[in-house]
Amino acid sequence: MKAMIIDITKCNGCYACQIACKDEHVANDWTPIAKPQPDTGQFWMKTKDIVRGQVPRVKVAYMHHICQHCDEAPCLKACKMGAIYKREDGTVIIDPVKCSGHKLCIDACPYGVIYYNNDLQIAQKCTWCAHLLDKGWKEPRCVDSCPTGALQFGEEEDLKDLIARAEMLLPEANVGPRIYYIGLPKRFVAGGVYDPEEDECVEDATVSLKDAAGKEVATAKTDGFGDFWFDGLGVGVYSMRVEKSGYVPIEIIDISTEQDINIGDLELSKSAQ
Amino acid sequence: MKAAVDRQGANGQKTVVKGLSFSGVTEDGNCVEVDVADGKIIRIRPLHFDRSYDRKPWTIEARGKTFTASTKSLIPPFTLAYKNRVRSPNRVMFPLKRVDWDPKGERNPQNRGISKYERISWDEATDLIAAEIRRVVSTYGPTAILLQADGHGESKVVHAAHGCAHRLLSLLGGYTYQARNPDSWEGWYWGAKHVWGCEPVGKGRYQSNIIPDIAENTGMLVFAGCDPETTPWGWGGQTVSQLCYWFKELGIKQIYICPDVNYGTAVHADKWIPILPGTDAALYLAIAYQWITEGTYDKEYVDSHVVGFEEFGAYVVGQEDGVPKTPKWAQEKTGVPSRIIKALARAWAAVPTTTVHANGGNMARGPYATENMRMEVCLLGMQGLGKPGRTMWSTIEWGLFGNGWHPRWAFGGSVPVPRHLLYPDTIHANRGYAPGLDGHTQLITKSLVHRAINEATVDNPISWYGTTWCREVTDDQFVKYEYPRKGCSEVHMIWTDTPALLTCWNDSNYTAKAYQNPKIEFMIAQHPWIENDCQFADIILPSATKFELDDIGIDNFTAEFGTLFYDAKCVEPQGESKSDYEVVCAVAEKLGLLEEYTGGKSVEDWIKLGFDTSGVDHLVSWEEFREKGHFVVPNDPNWHKHAVALRAFADDPECNRLSTPTGKLEFYSQRLAQHFPGDEERPPIPKWIERGPSHDERISGDRAKLFPYLVVSNHPRWRVHSQHDDMQWLREIGTCKIVGPDGYGYQPAWIHPVDAEKHGIAQGDVIKVYNERGAVLFGAYVTERIMPGVIYVDHGARWDPIVTGELDRGGAVNTITPRNTTSKNAAGMVTGAFLVGIERANLDELRQRYPEPFERPYHQACGLAYERMLA
Repeated sequence: MKAMIIDITKCNGCYACQIACKDEHVANDWTPIAKPQPDTGQFWMKTKDIVRGQVPRVKVAYMHHICQHCDEAPCLKACKMGAIYKREDGTVIIDPVKCSGHKLCIDACPYGVIYYNNDLQIAQKCTWCAHLLDKGWKEPRCVDSCPTGALQFGEEEDLKDLIARAEMLLPEANVGPRIYYIGLPKRFVAGGVYDPEEDECVEDATVSLKDAAGKEVATAKTDGFGDFWFDGLGVGVYSMRVEKSGYVPIEIIDISTEQDINIGDLELSKSAQ
Repeated sequence: MKAAVDRQGANGQKTVVKGLSFSGVTEDGNCVEVDVADGKIIRIRPLHFDRSYDRKPWTIEARGKTFTASTKSLIPPFTLAYKNRVRSPNRVMFPLKRVDWDPKGERNPQNRGISKYERISWDEATDLIAAEIRRVVSTYGPTAILLQADGHGESKVVHAAHGCAHRLLSLLGGYTYQARNPDSWEGWYWGAKHVWGCEPVGKGRYQSNIIPDIAENTGMLVFAGCDPETTPWGWGGQTVSQLCYWFKELGIKQIYICPDVNYGTAVHADKWIPILPGTDAALYLAIAYQWITEGTYDKEYVDSHVVGFEEFGAYVVGQEDGVPKTPKWAQEKTGVPSRIIKALARAWAAVPTTTVHANGGNMARGPYATENMRMEVCLLGMQGLGKPGRTMWSTIEWGLFGNGWHPRWAFGGSVPVPRHLLYPDTIHANRGYAPGLDGHTQLITKSLVHRAINEATVDNPISWYGTTWCREVTDDQFVKYEYPRKGCSEVHMIWTDTPALLTCWNDSNYTAKAYQNPKIEFMIAQHPWIENDCQFADIILPSATKFELDDIGIDNFTAEFGTLFYDAKCVEPQGESKSDYEVVCAVAEKLGLLEEYTGGKSVEDWIKLGFDTSGVDHLVSWEEFREKGHFVVPNDPNWHKHAVALRAFADDPECNRLSTPTGKLEFYSQRLAQHFPGDEERPPIPKWIERGPSHDERISGDRAKLFPYLVVSNHPRWRVHSQHDDMQWLREIGTCKIVGPDGYGYQPAWIHPVDAEKHGIAQGDVIKVYNERGAVLFGAYVTERIMPGVIYVDHGARWDPIVTGELDRGGAVNTITPRNTTSKNAAGMVTGAFLVGIERANLDELRQRYPEPFERPYHQACGLAYERMLA
């Protein structure tokens, strides 16, 4: 059974995967695997920019949305025409001839990755380029075009070390997706610490982060720029304490991680001796 | 994915190996395999170097980790999507004539860039062109013809995208040559060369084996105005991206100094330091101040490797002008907090630090960019340039000028990664290239074309220093050139195969006026796509793309392997297009010069000659080359034996001199002092220039009251300069185009939320960006990826005039860039770090006032379409 790894930490956002998919499927007819994708508007491998944080603490992550080739595929169950099937290699295919355009699969898919082709009146999605795999290709076009190794494809067994540290999208849907994500963006809290009197960044300050229950979830030391980053946080409300000997510690409460947050540059004043 | 599978495919499928870089010179890159069936391009995919040859990738080991080079080409998205470009609705399908240009009556030059076109036959077109050439040459002499034939484009050899007219016009007795300035790295050329030589381009020469050195020894990389995830793409693909990820694994800190979270900052930065565009010299001066006052520079190295440190230091600490260049002083100029400047200075001095550049960025392309780049080399010198881990990494154009056919330029082997066994060469088959000044009777630098046409006369010529030709040596910068040159004519005819001044050069609204100047009696453009300057031509000839012809090509840029390929035809030419070479052949025939022009050789003869003189003919036979369609050059097994660039200089500067007059790093340039005494815009030591006679583009000035924002204009992420703007799959990307409420794909302008709120601008709104030179419409991209006070716009979007010379809808930001050159005596162009105002555009009002531009035929997915130009 095949599986795909998407390592967000290695994606440089070049969109080669999204483009390669179009190059393969627009104006090319791969029946019985897939009929042509429309010129524009469908993204069987969709890349999405996620801009995280605020000036000057900003990063960009590139998310990828693709058919998850689920083992318990809701689309397959929803289709009344029996047009959707799972191959032995794990690939879920919408038979472009049998599909009669009821769109039930589109509504059933928890991942929102099935598209409707108005001209052909059929549902369409990623096929893992099964027409190429069947010709001896080792991987679909998106993976062949990936310059950084962010995308990998192969036998599940061969990828097991990566899968062991990967996550799935919407695990609660419980549909057995075959796409494994590494480094899915969570939330970060970042900031900087400085001494206004000396006009210097404060290095080696200890920053500790507590969750709403008051439990310490992480600590960090500020670097030479006085910066600290806490990444991989959940959505919630946090509080923070910044301390360094010789300075008055500061506490910040009610830090919401609805979005990634640059808490700004924090002034640390010298403690009275 | 080995070839055998696809080669035996159904439908008469064949696989062609091609280069798809967009450098446009002889050298290509980004090799791909193109699958073709039934006369159609099926797919474009990375070349697997081991598909037909047994090739092992090179490896680099450092700090217990190994980097293994890719076995496939790491191609960028516009290479993958190039089908879009071949079948673009913006292709020129037939020869076109401007409807109100009548060579026997009214020529209506004032309507260039406004009036429409009608289809004519090739026969009629070439008759008209031949007659005009004869008339112009006999009336004014051959120098009345300006040939614009340089810059980027599809990389082709026999059918060169640029300069095929050069040999024809030479046969007619010469012409006026448009000398291409080093548009992407002006500051290096006009500035850094005066410190470190680095002939001929001012950067990129000192690169040999520095990647293994960085991997082993560097503690921090400083990316100043550099986007390694953008500019290298059109040349050698995405190897640099892989290296940046590897350097992170090795624990090498990556610091980005730029106004924007560019695409490298987005994924690689350990620290982003936002800086106001074009103010890098101030930041660097403050770093020098910090090092001098804290004693944290390499004094011993400076003593033995630097001249003029005393004058330099006196300026830095304020002894010369009473202004110490403190971090506090720099904070005001740069917007970078002084404490961050101090922290950066300390981090830089604490570990071996290398700076990184990728062309583009405003640091090297803004007003007085010379000072930014000179200062950077001075900082490198203060920390022992050339010692382990301390150098400048150029992430682009590896292997360029690699061919050895011109002794002054050959440094192809000086690549930062393990080198190829050899760098093949197809220059002898190249039918286009116009090398330097040889054979030209008159030249105009590209940065001054508008002024030359609009202002200069035989009695009142304009002058400047240096040919500005991007491969010229420093001494030439002290030679004065004039247009019109004594005995030469003013220009009365223009022939362009480089129709991109409007979207890539300086103050191109003024260029529009030059093209409309009544002095210009005839203008011809040859190009595959009807875009930018084409829209001023009296006759437009349709060129074919490299998918539509047979050619030969080389890829020396790609880091992994070099490739020589038979650049074979895949599909029939679109419409009535001919290759650029065939276009000129058709004109030559009408002039009775076909035999002389072609040298009596067929295209196939030239391709064979290209192979025979490539330098790899001893490694592979012609027959095997033709059968496999390409040859992958092995790597040099002895690559590691080549010295690391500048190490010898660092070790012994007396025996290993730089190409500066003293052989040392010239913090004080005697040459500048001697040739340009009193030049306060590029003095003998690098300085901060707040403003001067050439430019007033700082936020401290009065102009900033009217135009309070600074523009950062990078090399585009989704284009190579003017190329690829019509590609529908790229235009779907959110940072490529923003579809306005009117359905038009606007070029994004990044604006910080704080600034957007001030002007009532929301994401997706159409905004007007303006200054005295005109206005351009953009789609607002409201984002934290740009610092407040700065507007980010990629250049290269296709010009789509609402009012020619005044107001553009396409997003060609260069229409409003400064007219003056880098500085008084540095004839580079300025295309970033300039002041603008912004406001929300009122589309309804514009549409009412200018109905025609808003009703032109428009392709929803690809944007501007060919039909818009037809009468």
